[in-house]
Amino acid sequence: MDMLICVFCFVFFPPPVSHSQITRLYSRFTSLDKGENGTLSREDFQRIPELAINPLGDRIINAFFPEGEDQVNFRGFMRTLAHFRPIEDNEKSKDQNGPEPLNSRSNKLHFAFRLYDLDKDDKISRDELLQVLRMMVGVNISDEQLGSIADRTIQEADQDGDSAISFAEFVKVLEKVDVEQKMSIRFLH
Amino acid sequence: LVIAAHSSFLRSPIPFVPVLMYLFVISLLITIPFEITLWILLASLAKIGFHLYHKLPSIVPESCLLILVGLLLGGIIFGAQEKSPPVMNSDVFFLYLLPPIVLDAGYFMPTRLFFENFGTIFWYAVVGTLWNAIGIGISLFGICQISAFGLTDITLLQNLLFGSLISAVDPVAVLAVFENIHVNEQLYILVFGESLLNDAITVVLYNLFKSFCQMRTIKVVDIFAGIANFFIVGIGGVLIGILLGFVAAFTTRFTHKIRVIEPLFVFLYSYLSYITAEMFHLSGIMAITACAMTMNKYVEENVSQKSYTTIKYFMKMLSSVSETLIFIFMGVSTVGKNHEWNWAFVSFTLLFCLIWRALGVFVLTQIINVFRTIPLTFKDQFIIAYGGLRGAICFSLVFLLPPAVFPRKKLFITAVIVVIFFTVFIQGITIRPLVEFLDVKRSNKKQPAVSEEIYNRFFDHVKTGIEDVCGHWGHNFWRDKFKKFDNKYLRRLLIRENQPKSSIVSLYKKLEIKHAIEMAESGMISKVPSSVSLSEYHEGKIKPLSPTEMENMREILTKNLYQIRHRTMSYNRHSLAADANEKQAKEILIRRRHSLRESLRKTNSLSRERPAAANTKRFLSLPKNTKLPEKLRVRNKTSSKVGDSSDSEMDAATTVLNLRPRAGKILRDQRQKQQRPLPEFRMEWKNEVDGKQDGAGAHQETSGQPQPSVGFRQPLLTRSRFGTLTGEDLSADHRSTGPMPPPRLVRQASQGERQRNKPENQPY
Repeated sequence: MDMLICVFCFVFFPPPVSHSQITRLYSRFTSLDKGENGTLSREDFQRIPELAINPLGDRIINAFFPEGEDQVNFRGFMRTLAHFRPIEDNEKSKDQNGPEPLNSRSNKLHFAFRLYDLDKDDKISRDELLQVLRMMVGVNISDEQLGSIADRTIQEADQDGDSAISFAEFVKVLEKVDVEQKMSIRFLH
Repeated sequence: LVIAAHSSFLRSPIPFVPVLMYLFVISLLITIPFEITLWILLASLAKIGFHLYHKLPSIVPESCLLILVGLLLGGIIFGAQEKSPPVMNSDVFFLYLLPPIVLDAGYFMPTRLFFENFGTIFWYAVVGTLWNAIGIGISLFGICQISAFGLTDITLLQNLLFGSLISAVDPVAVLAVFENIHVNEQLYILVFGESLLNDAITVVLYNLFKSFCQMRTIKVVDIFAGIANFFIVGIGGVLIGILLGFVAAFTTRFTHKIRVIEPLFVFLYSYLSYITAEMFHLSGIMAITACAMTMNKYVEENVSQKSYTTIKYFMKMLSSVSETLIFIFMGVSTVGKNHEWNWAFVSFTLLFCLIWRALGVFVLTQIINVFRTIPLTFKDQFIIAYGGLRGAICFSLVFLLPPAVFPRKKLFITAVIVVIFFTVFIQGITIRPLVEFLDVKRSNKKQPAVSEEIYNRFFDHVKTGIEDVCGHWGHNFWRDKFKKFDNKYLRRLLIRENQPKSSIVSLYKKLEIKHAIEMAESGMISKVPSSVSLSEYHEGKIKPLSPTEMENMREILTKNLYQIRHRTMSYNRHSLAADANEKQAKEILIRRRHSLRESLRKTNSLSRERPAAANTKRFLSLPKNTKLPEKLRVRNKTSSKVGDSSDSEMDAATTVLNLRPRAGKILRDQRQKQQRPLPEFRMEWKNEVDGKQDGAGAHQETSGQPQPSVGFRQPLLTRSRFGTLTGEDLSADHRSTGPMPPPRLVRQASQGERQRNKPENQPY
C-alpha cells in the first residue's frame, strides 16, 4: 500500500528541489566517508563499485584531490562537483566583473583538460593522449593503430605545430560540441 | 512434410496402420501434446538457425522469425488436412499462455528506474493507450458509416473494442534491433514499462468493452461504472500482487534447507497471484506484475545463486515458449479459411493505427517533456512511434471475440493479421535503417573528425563517473521514505537473518574480484601494452590521411571504445542481459591492476624500512578489533625489517582468496548492491611469493589450505580493491624515510607508465 501511495504522490506532487540538494550531497559525502573523519581519501572513492569499472575512474578520483593532498573535505568535494552544475540561463547574464563561476563553459573545459594533462604543463602531449586513449579502448586495438589514432587526433587539433594540444586548441576543437550539456548533471542544480 | 504425414497418419484410421497405433491414434491425449511439442521444437530449431548468422538479429526482430515459422507450419498442416488446424481457446490463452509473458516482463523490470520514470511510463501507457484505442475506434466507426464499404453493421462499441485490442503495442520487440545505435538510455525503460502497463490496460479495456457489447442498453451510469471498474480492477490486482509478493518473500526466508525447490516458489506464487486476481474478476496482469516486482528484491537476496539463475532462465524459457506458441497459432490460422477481406476496413485500420500512434506519441511527448529532466528527442519519439509493433496479445484478443456478439469477427481477424504482418515485417525491418538515416541527417556534419568520437566518449565517461560519485539519487523524497520503511521493517521481516553483512563480506568480494582479475590477467598479460611502445615518438610530420583511412579509424574506434556504463540494463525478451559489459569491466579492472603493479614495482625501489605504524593502515577494511594470527604478524615484521626491493611488492604478501571467479556477476551484484550468501564458497589462501618479481602476475605456489567460511584468517594485506592503499602507504613511508619525491610520483600511482618516462622524477 505504501508503495502505491508513494507512487501516486510522486506522480502528482513532485517535491520541490532546493538546497536539499546540498543536504543530499552531504549525506552522500558522509556515507562515503568510512573513516568518519570528515574527509574523503582515495580509498573511499574507490569503494564506489561503478567508479571502479569506469575507464577514467582513477583520473576522475584524482580530480577531486587538490595538489599534493590525499584528503578532500566537503568543501573541496563540492567544489569539484560544482563544475558540473548546469548552466542556468539567468547566470549567463550575470555581471562579468565577478570571478567566473566554476560551471562556466571555460571552466568545464579546463576541468576536462586537466584530466588529460597530468604533468600540468598546459599541453596535452602525445603520450598523455595515448594514455587516455589506451584507458578508453579495448584490448583489440594494437599499439600502432592507437598511435595513429592519437596522431590523427593531435593533427586535427594542433594549430601551432608543436604536436601537442594546448588549452586554446582544445577549446577550439570542441567549439561545436555541446560541452555545457555533456558536462552537466541535472540534479546538481 | 514428414510431420504432416505423421500427423495425418496418426489421425486417420487407415486400415493398414497396425492396431496398436490405431489405439494410440484414437486417444487424443497423445495427439495434442505431440503436435504441440513438435511445433515448439520446430520453432526453437528455427531460432537456432536464425541466430547462426550473427547479423540477422540486428536487422530483423525475432517476431518475424516466429511468424514465418507459424506460417510454414500452418501451410503444412493446411496442406495435409484440407481443414483449418486446431486453434486455441480462451482458457488456454488466458490461463497458460499469457501469464509467462507478463511475468517475464514484470520480473526483469528494474524497479528503481521504473519508479523514477513512473510518471512518463504511466502517461504513455495509460493515456497513450486510451488515446489510441478511442481514436482508432472512433475513426473506424466513421469509416464504417460510409455505406459504400458495406460496413454499416459494425456498431460504435464494436469499433471501440476493436480499437482497444489493436492498440496493444509491443515495442519491446524492436529493442533488440538497436545494438550499436546509441539509443537514449531512458528509452529502454520507457518502452519496456510502456509495453508492460499497456498490456494490462488493453486487457482491461477489452473486457470492459466486451461486457458493454453484450449489454442491451447502456446508460450513462454504466459508463461511469465502467470507468470506476477500470480503476478498481487495476488497483485491486496490484494489491493482490503485492500481498502475494510479500508472502513469497517471506516464504523464501526459510528455504535455505531446500534450495532445490526455491524457484518453484517464485513461479507458484506469481501464478497464484494471477489466478487469484482473475478469480475475483480483477486484473490478473497487474497482479502478476506487481507480485514479480515486489518479490524480486527480497527473493533475490534469500535464494541461492543457483536458484536465482534457474529462476531467470526458466522464466525466459517459459515466456519464449508462450510467445512462440501464440505466433504459431497465428501463422497457422492465417492459412486457414477464417478470413473475410474488405479492402476499406483493412487498409483504413492500418492507416489509422499508424497515424494515431504517431500523433499520440508526438502530442504526449510534447506535454511530458515539460516535466522531464531529460527531454525526449525527435529520434526517441520516432523510435517509440514507429516501433509500435503489434504482437501476440493483439492476435489472441481478437481471436477470442465471441462470434455471437461479433458477426463480423472474421473481418476483424483479417484486419488484425494484416496489421501485425505489416508492423512486424515492414516496420520491424526498416526501423533500424531509418533511425540510422535520421542520425546521420541530424548530425549534419560534413565529415566528423576522428577525434570527435573520442572526445564525446571521454565526456560521457567523465559525466558517468561524477554521477556515480554523487550516488543514485534524484528528486525523490518518497522513495527515501519508502527506503527507510523498507529497511526498518520489511527487510528485517522478509530477508533471512544470518546473512553476514559485515565488512568482512565486502572484503571477500573485493578479494574475489582481485583473484578473478589475476587469473584473467595471467592470460591477458600479453595484451596490455608496455610503456615502451607508448613512448615511441614519431618525429616529423604527421601525414594527412585519406578518407578511407579515416573511415577505418572511425570504425575501429566505434567498435572498440568502451561503452558507457548503462544504468538501465537493456531488456531483451529473448535473451538475458548482455555479458558484454562484464567483459569490458574485467578488462578495465585488469588494466588498472596491472598499471598499479607496475607503479608499485617502480616506487618500491625507493622504499626504505617501513615503520610498523604504516601497517595498521592496511587493515582499514577490517573491523576494528580483528586479531591477527601470530604467524602473520611475525611475517609482517620480518618483511618490514628487510624492506628492500626484492621483498617490497610482497610486503604485499598478497593473500588472495581463491573464490570461484565470478567477477562479472559480482560486479553486477555490487552494482545492484546485493549480497550473496557465502557458505557455499570454498576458499583457499594463496600467497604470492617472491617470484613475483617481474610483476608477471602469475600465481606460484598455493600455500593454503581450504578454510571454512567462518573461521578464516584475516588476510595479511587488505588492499583496497585496486591496491592503491599500498600506494598510500608508500607515500606515508616516503615521507618518513628518504628525500621526498615530488608528490606526483606517488599519488598518481595508477598512471604508472608515465613515471618511467620522466627521469627527473626518480630521485635515485
